[in-house]
Amino acid sequence: MNKKPIKYYSALFGKEVIVTINDSLAKPEGKVLAPNKLAAANKRLSKLKELPKQ
Amino acid sequence: MKYSTYELLQASADLSIFDFISIGPKGPIHKRIAFQETIIPEIYNLSFGDINKIGEYDDFSVSDNGDRDVILATVANIVEIYLMKYPNRWISFEGSTRERTRLYRMAIGINLKELSVKFDIYTQVGGRLVPFLKNMPVDNFVVTSKKP
Repeated sequence: MNKKPIKYYSALFGKEVIVTINDSLAKPEGKVLAPNKLAAANKRLSKLKELPKQ
Repeated sequence: MKYSTYELLQASADLSIFDFISIGPKGPIHKRIAFQETIIPEIYNLSFGDINKIGEYDDFSVSDNGDRDVILATVANIVEIYLMKYPNRWISFEGSTRERTRLYRMAIGINLKELSVKFDIYTQVGGRLVPFLKNMPVDNFVVTSKKP
C-alpha cells in the first residue's frame, strides 16, 4: 500500500493541512458509493438550465 | 474560521474519496466523503457517511459522536482542498434528511462571510442557481471556488 503526504495551505482555517494519499482508497471500477443520493442529486440537477457566469 | 478540524486526512490520488476518523464518546468512527460525477460534467456531488465494521458505506447513519462542529469544519476543509485541485468544478450537496440540510444551512449561514471569501455559494431553485442568503429555505447547495 503506497502512502504519500501532500501539503495544502487552508486559507479558510489559516493552517497547513497534510493529506495522505492512500492507493487503497481508489474507487473500485463500476462501484457507485451512495447510489440513491447520487440519483436524487441527478434528478434535481436535470432541471438546471445553466451554471451562473462567474 | 476558528474551528478545529480533523487533521489526519487520507485521500485517493484523484481526491475523489477522503477518509478521516471521528473521535468522541462513542469511540473512533470511520468517516468518508466522496465526490461523484453527476449528469452535468462540471458538477460533482458530495456524499458523506460512515464506514461500518464490515467496510460498507452508510450515508444515512447517525453516529452522534459529540463532534458535529469539528466534522462540519472538516467537510468544509475537504471541499476547500478539492476545489484547490479542481478550481473549475462545482460541488453539489444536500443532507440525507431535511433536518440535516437545515443543519448545513445554519452552519453555512453562521459562517457565510468567511466562506464567501473562498467560495461562491448557491442553491438550486427550479432551473436556476441563485446565490445563497442567510436563512433562505434551501433543498441543496452548489458551491464553487471564487474566481479572481
